[in-house]
Amino acid sequence: MTSPRTNEEWLNDLRASDGTQDAAIGDLRNLLFRAVLFFFSRNLDEFRGLARDEILQLAEDCAQEALIAVMNHTSDFRGDSKFTTWAYKFAINKALMAARHESWKGISLDELSSLSNHTLVEWVLRDKWPVSSSDQSMMQAEVIEVMRDVIEHELTDKQRRVLIMMVFNEVPMDEVVRHLGTNRNAIYKMLHDARRKLKNGLQARGFEVAEMLVLFSISR
Amino acid sequence: MNSKSFLQNIHNTRDEEISCSECFDLTSQFVERELTIGDHEIKMPHLRQHLNQCSSCREEYETLRDLVRLENEGEILEVDNLKNLIP
Repeated sequence: MTSPRTNEEWLNDLRASDGTQDAAIGDLRNLLFRAVLFFFSRNLDEFRGLARDEILQLAEDCAQEALIAVMNHTSDFRGDSKFTTWAYKFAINKALMAARHESWKGISLDELSSLSNHTLVEWVLRDKWPVSSSDQSMMQAEVIEVMRDVIEHELTDKQRRVLIMMVFNEVPMDEVVRHLGTNRNAIYKMLHDARRKLKNGLQARGFEVAEMLVLFSISR
Repeated sequence: MNSKSFLQNIHNTRDEEISCSECFDLTSQFVERELTIGDHEIKMPHLRQHLNQCSSCREEYETLRDLVRLENEGEILEVDNLKNLIP
């Protein structure tokens, strides 16, 4: 059992130059490893192709990466939470990225980033929107057409690819990040811009998204 | 993502939204306040908005919240016990 440290003690011990630092790093690494295993244990389906030893090794690797990240960012810690709560975020982040990568490895994202004629329709139909009248059916078709028009003509190529991968094909954000060689902030911004254009595009053509949600949710 | 969730996300889109990095910076504070004083007392609308839009950040937040809650309650499993959950 790791002895509890105050935030100040964690920072002092991790910056010490004697055996105190080694002990603190060992304790921190154990906490990060536990956080990684906690995430892994909730997401076992993503590791179906791996043997137990391989999963545990992956957890060790994530904990080590998280430890390095924490040590590189201790100066960013502002003290507005417990140090350990702050540090856990790095472990959970590494664990989630590793799990998603394991789950999606071997899948070609190039094939999942283009908008085929059927992608949008299939995506909408997958949800089985309730259609209780011909008016609703017509409106649904109009919305699909507006969305297709905005996606094809108003989004940039990168916004379009990110939207198609993440929204229509449910590719995890970190795999899109890896595929495009960028970072989460950039991908989030692209998707945010795409959402804004779709919202504005729908409104400009007389569709209020709030009304659509209400209308399409009737008689479910 | 299903079409209803995405329409909801389009509906809730704001001109200004915080980034994933900004969300990451705020999450530990948010989790501790949520577990201490309750979700409804916390005024962090930009963070909430990001968590509703970004499934990766939301999953990390939910994992952190559950981990810290179990730790606070003394019910978090130790490493050897967690290892035993790996088949």
